[in-house]
Amino acid sequence: MMSILLVIGLVVGFGVGYMIPGLTPPVTPPDDYDVITDRGTIIVGTNSGWPPFEMLNTTTDELYGFDIDLAELVADYIGVTVEWVDMDFDALIGACQAGSIDMIASATFITAARCEVLQPLCWYIRTNEVVVVKANSTLTISSLDDLVGYTVGAQTGTTEDEELSEIAGVDLVRYPLVETMFQDLNAGALDAVYVDEPIVALYSTVYSIKIIFTVTAPPTAFYIRYGSDRLSAAINSAIAEGFADGSVDALIAQWFG
Amino acid sequence: MQGPFGLFDILVLILIRGLPMTLALTLLSLLVGFLVGLLLALVRVYAPYGLNYIAIGYEKIFRGIPLLVLIFIFGAALLRYFIWTGSLANALFFAAMLSLALRSAAYQSEIFRGAIMSVDAGQMMAAKSIGMNTFQATRNIILPQALRLSLPGWANEYAVVIKDTSLASAIGISDLIYQAQAFTWDYPAQFLPIILIVAIIYFVFTYPVTRYLGESMTLKLRQLGLGGGR
Repeated sequence: MMSILLVIGLVVGFGVGYMIPGLTPPVTPPDDYDVITDRGTIIVGTNSGWPPFEMLNTTTDELYGFDIDLAELVADYIGVTVEWVDMDFDALIGACQAGSIDMIASATFITAARCEVLQPLCWYIRTNEVVVVKANSTLTISSLDDLVGYTVGAQTGTTEDEELSEIAGVDLVRYPLVETMFQDLNAGALDAVYVDEPIVALYSTVYSIKIIFTVTAPPTAFYIRYGSDRLSAAINSAIAEGFADGSVDALIAQWFG
Repeated sequence: MQGPFGLFDILVLILIRGLPMTLALTLLSLLVGFLVGLLLALVRVYAPYGLNYIAIGYEKIFRGIPLLVLIFIFGAALLRYFIWTGSLANALFFAAMLSLALRSAAYQSEIFRGAIMSVDAGQMMAAKSIGMNTFQATRNIILPQALRLSLPGWANEYAVVIKDTSLASAIGISDLIYQAQAFTWDYPAQFLPIILIVAIIYFVFTYPVTRYLGESMTLKLRQLGLGGGR
């Protein structure tokens, strides 16, 4: 009897909660561009620990990196300041859709799946994705399909994760942190690791590793919600002008030099 | 990428930058969880028929959702509803605190319910026989004994919450784990020492509380004639 009441209560409660948004009259949400300029800040989500795109400077306790500088450049163009939110990479896309953050600046590749839910902006760099093994490994591959039967690590929610998930037979291990992934590679728990090339440079100073296969990655871009053509136009102009006057190239030279 | 700091500097920097946030999250969420949890426990034990299902439903829901999922719900999906806290940093902190507190309230309510029910039923009858009403009896007779009885269980809840605050780093709360991770990126060769430093910090802040509240207080309860066992 009691459990039946509980179930009924839950069903009615969730049911009413589900109906409530439909009962209130629809309001046109204000344009994101106006929201941001009125607020005077643009809330940008990133996921630090991805050198040289975004890192936390342990000397100053502040975020720094290529994406950080580029997002500040965009914010300057619009005339606002940046408020950073540093959250898990998997949560960024949901947070941007929900309106918790205005823009994603986290070395995010342009993929079809992401474009369905978020609007990519003018792309600004193309990097490589690489398969990395221990220096003494004898593994050689000529395509990603050759990884079938091997234990391979990738960061959760990344394009590398998606690409490997589509190949049946690869024993894919997903890591929230790149650090632990390289630890496991070094310990021999993984045969290979599939990551963005720029971050390999950092770990090659600690572990003896080598790159055995390189794929040109999709272009990297910032993302915003769909719905504000003025915001996307402003950010795209900021990046285009940055390329035109050489300031983006200067940043690329500074961080990837 | 090797920075200028030695291991001891790293320990101090992690403490200075991370510890305040970890302790603030722990204490605030335990406090809010205590108030909500005690209310839920009282509702479950004393409320008239029907009302207690609200408390039961609450406990079932919040004990059944992983904390990381709660943190993503409040901190990533619903963050804009907390902007009234004044700034983005406050909103993120509030979201993390709320996730921890709501989850802790569900657990604490079970702790207090067990403690209230382990106070002999005769105490309530005796209190009413000398003219107290239910509220007075609960406030003056039952709760003072029940809260003492709940201390060992509550110390355990403290130990759980202080360590679970580490999940708040998933939305960028600058706690011990968030800082430690940043240092492991700059000092990848020192990964194990840095993680061990954090393990020791958490232990140092957990052990005295569980030792005092959880164990010494149990002895004292026996001297007061409360609780069974020996």
